[in-house]
Amino acid sequence: MLGTTWLAKLRGGLAACGLLAVAACGGAGGDDGPVTVSVWAWYPEFKGVVEAFNATHPDIKVEWTNAGTGADHYAKLKTAITAGKGAPDVAMVEFQQIPTFVILDALADMGEHGANEDEGLYAEWAWEQATDGDKVYAIPVDGGPMALMYRKDLFDQHGIPVPTTWAEYAEAAVKIKAADPNAHIASFGSDGGWLNGLMWQSGCRPYGYSHTTAKDQVKINLTAPECKRVVDLIGDLVDKGLMAKDPFFTADATAALDSGKYWTWAAAGWTPGYLAGSLKNTTGKWAVAPMPQWTAGADEQGDWGGSTFTVTKQAKNPKAATTVARELFGKSEAAWEIGLDKAFLYPLVKDVAADPAFTGKAYEFFNGQKVNEIFVPVSEKLGDFQFTPFQDFVYSELDDRSAEAMTGGRSWDSVLDEAQKNVVTYAEQQGFKVSK
Amino acid sequence: MTLGRGENPTRVKTRLPHLLMGVGILYFLVPLLWVVVAATKSQPDLLDSPALWFAEFNLFENIGQLFREDDGAYGKWLVNTALYSGLSAVGATALAAAAGYGLARFRFPGKRLFETALLGMIMVPATALVLPTYLILSEVELVDTMWAVILPSLLSPFGAYLIRVYVDESVPVELIDSARIDRAGELRIFWQIVVPMMRPAIVTVFLFTLVATWNNYFLPLVMLSDADLYPLTVGLTTWFNTAQQEAGTRMLFNLVVTGSLLAIVPLIVAFVLLQRFWRSGAAAGALK
Amino acid sequence: MRSTPITAPEADDPPPLAPVESRARRRSRRVTAHPVAGTLFVLPFFLVVVAFLVVPLGYAFWLSLSSKSLALGTRFSGLDNYVRAFTDPLLLDGLLRVVLFGLVQIPIMLGIALAGALALDAVTTKFAIAFRLIAFMPYAVPAVVGALMWGFLYSRTFGPFADLPTLVGGDPIDFFSVSLLLVSLGNIVTWAWTGYNMIILYSALQGVPREMYEAAVIDGATPVQIALRVKVPAIKQAISLAAIFTVIGTMQFFTEPQIMARFAPQISAGYTPNLYAYNQAFAYSDFHYSAALSFALGFLVFVVAYAFVFVNNRRRGKRA
Repeated sequence: MLGTTWLAKLRGGLAACGLLAVAACGGAGGDDGPVTVSVWAWYPEFKGVVEAFNATHPDIKVEWTNAGTGADHYAKLKTAITAGKGAPDVAMVEFQQIPTFVILDALADMGEHGANEDEGLYAEWAWEQATDGDKVYAIPVDGGPMALMYRKDLFDQHGIPVPTTWAEYAEAAVKIKAADPNAHIASFGSDGGWLNGLMWQSGCRPYGYSHTTAKDQVKINLTAPECKRVVDLIGDLVDKGLMAKDPFFTADATAALDSGKYWTWAAAGWTPGYLAGSLKNTTGKWAVAPMPQWTAGADEQGDWGGSTFTVTKQAKNPKAATTVARELFGKSEAAWEIGLDKAFLYPLVKDVAADPAFTGKAYEFFNGQKVNEIFVPVSEKLGDFQFTPFQDFVYSELDDRSAEAMTGGRSWDSVLDEAQKNVVTYAEQQGFKVSK
Repeated sequence: MTLGRGENPTRVKTRLPHLLMGVGILYFLVPLLWVVVAATKSQPDLLDSPALWFAEFNLFENIGQLFREDDGAYGKWLVNTALYSGLSAVGATALAAAAGYGLARFRFPGKRLFETALLGMIMVPATALVLPTYLILSEVELVDTMWAVILPSLLSPFGAYLIRVYVDESVPVELIDSARIDRAGELRIFWQIVVPMMRPAIVTVFLFTLVATWNNYFLPLVMLSDADLYPLTVGLTTWFNTAQQEAGTRMLFNLVVTGSLLAIVPLIVAFVLLQRFWRSGAAAGALK
Repeated sequence: MRSTPITAPEADDPPPLAPVESRARRRSRRVTAHPVAGTLFVLPFFLVVVAFLVVPLGYAFWLSLSSKSLALGTRFSGLDNYVRAFTDPLLLDGLLRVVLFGLVQIPIMLGIALAGALALDAVTTKFAIAFRLIAFMPYAVPAVVGALMWGFLYSRTFGPFADLPTLVGGDPIDFFSVSLLLVSLGNIVTWAWTGYNMIILYSALQGVPREMYEAAVIDGATPVQIALRVKVPAIKQAISLAAIFTVIGTMQFFTEPQIMARFAPQISAGYTPNLYAYNQAFAYSDFHYSAALSFALGFLVFVVAYAFVFVNNRRRGKRA
């Protein structure tokens, strides 16, 4: 029942590595046998990906650990970085977290081990976020180009046109309420990443940071009109009761999506898999449309979510770790087969995303619609977008201040003003020179 | 309910308490009943059927799936939890028993200071200690091993205090003195005379430290990263997060619920079976 | 409620400590001057205290004396972190919230626990035994599991309670709304810890000598009068000590809000002081400020608890 790893750990902890023998313990294995590379990641169905890698790389053995999802994973990673030991060789890190780990001096530059060769392989926006100049801090894996999921059957039934602009979206919200007083156009999910994606799609570029050029300078501009119009519109819908208030991914929100309580969800490239797996009653009734635009006929796009592999500075063999980060997914067909069909990742490898097997895939959940035909152009259209080196703080400001607005504790109009003020104070307190 | 309408005093005497207790039983039991009922439901029924009533009986399928998921992770977590809490409780109880006896029946330098400090020890917030403890244990390469959970759990200032109070009241000093006259060694006196006499206090401390480690979440969360070493609390939370964030690929709510049920049952059984002991031990803490 | 303490596992809500003075008087007769043996008995425990309490605390205090900013790195800053803490509106908000929470929840919980204990003391039927066991069961439920469970129970979709008002034509209850959130959290804590406190108070009641209220019975006092006028004053000490430990646990309120944040977005990063300290360390990587926050909090708890003991002792002193 107890695996050998478990016993080995126990023995290793007690016997081999005394206080004085620390140095003797840290080293990678001997000359013989494959180099072991530890990986922390929480991708679904990741085991098969690791097995595929190990089968094709006789010189490297990946040891995978699921150290928790999201916040738990980062908490452990940050603790291990602070302690100076205990971090894995390769860690999964989401895009918005990359600058945070860079400024903590946690990430190795994979450019030193040839990772710059991969530049052409990935969607440009993703490569931009993963690198800083010729320093390669992360290898993109999956992304979240945004589009609008909607209940096609209900929209058709009530003759409501699918919104192509946000103004039409607001009109549709009123009509939906009229058609069914218990229904909402969507829910305000209290998710910093989602709000960020909507602002991105509005052309808002609130942050700017480059560790290489000026590590103590950061741009914060959450109050630009492109940012504020997003919050104003959504806040108005919430205040009028046209948009619900359930946090995303809770059982309540899932049930609401599956029962006709929400008619749309402005979500991302990974959502089709999420919806198909969790909604049983409404299979075949949903469809995907491009995001509503702020200006009719425009083509502004945004991203919600996505992740990368990074190599930590504690990696015993950074070169082997770089190989792992680049090739776990990378061009591996076996890995992407699992990634696309079982884990429902949206691939940031351009060739995989352009492959007819992906773009041409018809989804039963969307009544046979080839939804990736919508997501792929969005990903290609995504431009430059930067994050701060303290994005956790920014997201919790966005969450907490909009939660206050949602519950009547402040006006929606003041959400971004207050967040801007608090983020600037925090940034200055952390020693940054802040520009707008 | 009004009193004193000329009713039979004994009936008044039991009617009000029974009413109170009836309401209490409902309040404390309903959430637990929910867990029991929910554990018998399949994932779709969990979301669709009435909360407090049975749907299709799926308990055994859930338990089967529970022990198969992630290559039998739940079984490992269960064994780990039992091992961590068992070892911690035995160790903490032994340390507390010796220290409590030492404080109750001996005089030595620094004793008063140490006793005063006991109360202060339990006021330290956990968040203040987890990180430095992590840094220290990582220096000796114990992070991400079972010892990172067990060693810090050995500390039970309250256990030491409880034992001290109990010894003070229940172990006559004359008995120890006469044993000394018989030239018994101090260790033998402790083992053969004192320990048997303070069994209720020992069971109490054992159970309380067992529960504390069994239910601990924050310490193992930070200390462990290898899922094979997780205790139940951390493992189940991982599944819950997975169920929320990757619901499309893995709907695990039924497993989280069934796993929670199996995680609480052993403790409740232990408390019920051992209640005679721990109740008199707890009484020592409350009374003397 | 409460964090899962790593040093004193049952620090959350240990049974009340015993009154000190009566024992102090007796102790001189009972202890043996046997310093070597005594030291040896206490030594193993003492070593664990040093390794897992004193050293980590010292280390945390040392950490709190320097500051780390993301852009500038680490520098010694003396007590700056403490100045920052006591002027940090997020900390002060959280502190105020926890104090308000405690002022309402603690009396309710202890009140119910006391009523339950008095009921148990009054009757000895099988029903009472069942009640005693059932009330204590929530104590064996891990806080994490308890919070997840209540998260489901409060849910509008599959919880049994939210829709109750609709049966009589009302609106469904939103347990996570601003007005109800603290009540919902308080209910979780009350559910988990009432039984525990009740058992402690019940044990104390069992120790009250029957002679103490036989006179009252003869005088024709009703059972309720006896309970309130004789029994409750007799276990006042146990009640106030239960209160101290509950106050300590409440000040460290952590696990329930942390888990509930998944359901209730208005649980902000600084919802409780301990949650704030956690976020400072594990989300914002500011271990130095986090250590200072924890220390400031620990200090406040210490002051409050000792003030409580002091006032309590003085009141007793006056009576005697």
